Amino acid sequence: MSTTAPEPVAGARTGLAGLLVVPATLFVAIGLLGPIAILFRYSLNQFIPGQFMVDGLTIENYVKFFTDGYYLNVLARTVRVAVVCTVACLIMGFPLAYVLARTQSRFKNLLIIAVVLPLFVGNAVRAAGWMTAFGSRGALNASLMGMGLIDQPLEIMFTENAVLIGIIAVNLPFMVLTLQSVIEGIPRNVEEAAFSLGAGPAAMFRRVLWPLALPGILAGTILTFILAMNAYATPVLLGGPRFQMMGPLVYGQFAQQNNWPFGGAISFILMTATIILTVAAHLIVQRRYR
Amino acid sequence: MARLSIEHLRKTYGDLTVVDDVTIDIADGEFLVLLGPSGCGKTTTLRMVAGFIAPSAGAITIGERSVTALPPWKRNCGLVFQSYALFPHMTVAENVAFGLEMRKVSPADRIPRVAEALRLVQLAGFDERYPRQLSGGQQQRVALARALAMEPDVLLLDEPLSNLDAKLRQEVRVEIRDLQRKLGLTTIMVTHDQEEALTMADRLVVMEKGKVRQIGSQRELYEKPADRFVAGFIGRSAFLDGEITAPGRFRTRGGVEIGCAAATGTGAATLALRPERIAVGGEAQGLHNHFQARVEHASYLGAILDIDVSLSGHDRMLLQIPNKAGVAEPKPGETITIGWAEDAGLVYPREA
Ligand SMILES: Nc1ncnc2c1ncn2[C@@H]1O[C@H](COP(=O)(O)OP(=O)(O)OP(=O)(O)O)[C@@H](O)[C@H]1O
Ligand SMILES: [Mg+2]
Repeated sequence: MSTTAPEPVAGARTGLAGLLVVPATLFVAIGLLGPIAILFRYSLNQFIPGQFMVDGLTIENYVKFFTDGYYLNVLARTVRVAVVCTVACLIMGFPLAYVLARTQSRFKNLLIIAVVLPLFVGNAVRAAGWMTAFGSRGALNASLMGMGLIDQPLEIMFTENAVLIGIIAVNLPFMVLTLQSVIEGIPRNVEEAAFSLGAGPAAMFRRVLWPLALPGILAGTILTFILAMNAYATPVLLGGPRFQMMGPLVYGQFAQQNNWPFGGAISFILMTATIILTVAAHLIVQRRYR
Repeated sequence: MARLSIEHLRKTYGDLTVVDDVTIDIADGEFLVLLGPSGCGKTTTLRMVAGFIAPSAGAITIGERSVTALPPWKRNCGLVFQSYALFPHMTVAENVAFGLEMRKVSPADRIPRVAEALRLVQLAGFDERYPRQLSGGQQQRVALARALAMEPDVLLLDEPLSNLDAKLRQEVRVEIRDLQRKLGLTTIMVTHDQEEALTMADRLVVMEKGKVRQIGSQRELYEKPADRFVAGFIGRSAFLDGEITAPGRFRTRGGVEIGCAAATGTGAATLALRPERIAVGGEAQGLHNHFQARVEHASYLGAILDIDVSLSGHDRMLLQIPNKAGVAEPKPGETITIGWAEDAGLVYPREA
C-alpha cells in the first residue's frame, strides 16, 4: 500500500465496500433479526389454554423456565452435551486436520472429501442407519452376542451416549475443515525452526502450533458448539422420547403444545446461553494466550 | 562449536538419487559454502545435517557425537531459513529467547543473552517489536540472532540472503561473515550466488546432480578446476573441444593445432581457457599459440566486452576483453589476432 494514495480513491473504495455489504445486511435483517424480534415479543405474551396467545407484557414464561427443575435440567443437559461434543471434536479433529493440512499425498483432495462425506447423508438417514447398527437387535449387538462376548444387548440407542456419538459425527467435519484451513496457513518452516531450536514435538505444539492455530480453534469450537447446542434431529432420533434437549423442546412448545410465548422464551434462553458461553470461552482463551 | 563430518551421505527418492555419496569434513570454526546449480541437492544435504530429512545412507558427526539418528531438536544445529521463519506471535525478544527457553535457561538468565544476541546483529532496542513490524533485512537478522543465542554447535544457512535486495545483501553478508569469525562458528551456507560464495567462504564445495565435484579454496577452484563442469561453473572459461594428439599437443575439431602443457594422455578432450589468459591484438603475436579469429558477435558489458569468435568453422570460443580507452571495439565480421601461452589452459577428458 502506497502512503501517497490520494484520499478520494480510498474514500471511493470504502464507499464501494459499504455498498457491497448491503445485500448481506438486508438479508440478515429481514431473515434473522426480524423473526428474533417477533419471537422476543411473543415471549412476553401470556398463554391461556384454549385462547392460544394473549397480548401482554409479562416475564412469567421466563420465571416458569427458571423455577421448574425439569426445564433447568434440559438446559444443563444441553450445555453438557454441547461441551462434551465440542471438546471431543477438538481432540479428535486436530490431529486429523493437521495430517490433512501437511500431507504431501496426491490423494489429499480425496481425503478431504472423505471427511465431508458423512455430511452428504442427511441426519434422518444417518440416524436410521445407526438404529440398524446399534439397536438392541442391531448388527453390533447381534455379532457381540453371537460371539458370546455379552449376554445382554448393549444399551446404546436412546441414551445420552448415542446422542453424543451422533452429534460428534455430524460436527467433526466442520471442526476438521476449519482447523485444516488455518493450519495450512502456518508455514511448515516455523515448526521446523522450533525443532531446530531444541523444541520437541510437545513443546513445539504448545508454544508454536497451538497459539498460531488459535483463530481456527476458536472458529471451529464456536461453530461446533453452536451446532451442538441447537441440535434437533439427532437428539430426537437417537435420544428417543425421554431424552430432551433444548432444540426439540422449543419445537415441542410451538408445534405440539401450541404455546408460542413459552416456546419463544425457551428460544431466547437457548440463544442467550449459547452466546454467553461462546463469548466467555473466547475471552478466557484470548486472555491466556495473548 | 565443533567440527562437522559428513560421510558417504546419500538420499534417494524411489529411483531418484538426489544426494549421492557426499563426504565433507568441516573444521571447527570453518565457513563452508555449498554451491551448485538449482536442484543439485544442496538444500537436501543441509536438511539432512539439520535432521529434517533422514539420509538413505551415510553418517553425520558433530564434534564427537554421531547425530545421524537424532531428531532435529537434539542436534543443536542453528538453522536460518531463506524465508526467516520467525514466530509471528512472539516479539523479537521472545523469538530470540525461544532456544534458551527450550534449554531450560531461567528467565532471568535469558535476558542478558537475548540482549547480547540482538546487539550482535545490531538490533538492540527492537525487543518488543513483532516480526511483522520489521523490514526483511531486520527479520533476517532476528532469525540469525535466534540461531546464535542458543549457541549452536553448527550454524546452517540456506540461502539466507536471497530475499534481500542487492544493497542489503551486501551488508548482511558482511555482518554474517564478521559474526561467524568473531564467534568461531562452524558454518555451512547454501547459495547459488557465486559472488556471495566466493566472498564469504573459507572453502567451497561445488555440487552437481547430487555429487560433490570439487572441494577447495576460491583460488583452487578457479585455477585448478577438477573437471569441465567446475571450470565452467566457477568463473568463466572458453572451451574448445578436440583431441590430444601427442603429449603437449592438442588439436581442435576444426583442425587447429595448439601447444598445451596440460595435454597428457590421449583421446577426446576439452581445452578450457580462462578469459584473462587470452591476449588480443599485438600482445598475442609473441605468444606460443596465436591465431586469426573471426568476430561473430560482440556484447558491450561496461567494464568488459564479451566477444564470441570462431577459430575455424568448427571452433567457437568466448573471449572477455577489458574495455580499455583507445582500443577499438571489435565488430562482427572483423578478424582479430588472439593468443595464449603454452602453460595456459587445462585439459579435461571429454565426458561421454
Ligand atoms: N520429496 C522429494 N521427492 C522427490 N524428489 C525430491 C524431493 N525433494 C527434493 N527432490 C529433488 O531433489 C533434488 C534436489 O533438491 P534440493 O532442494 O536439494 O536442490 P537445491 O540444490 O537446494 O536447489 P535450489 O538451488 O534450487 O534450492 C531436486 O531435483 C528435487 O526435485
Ligand atoms: Mg535449495
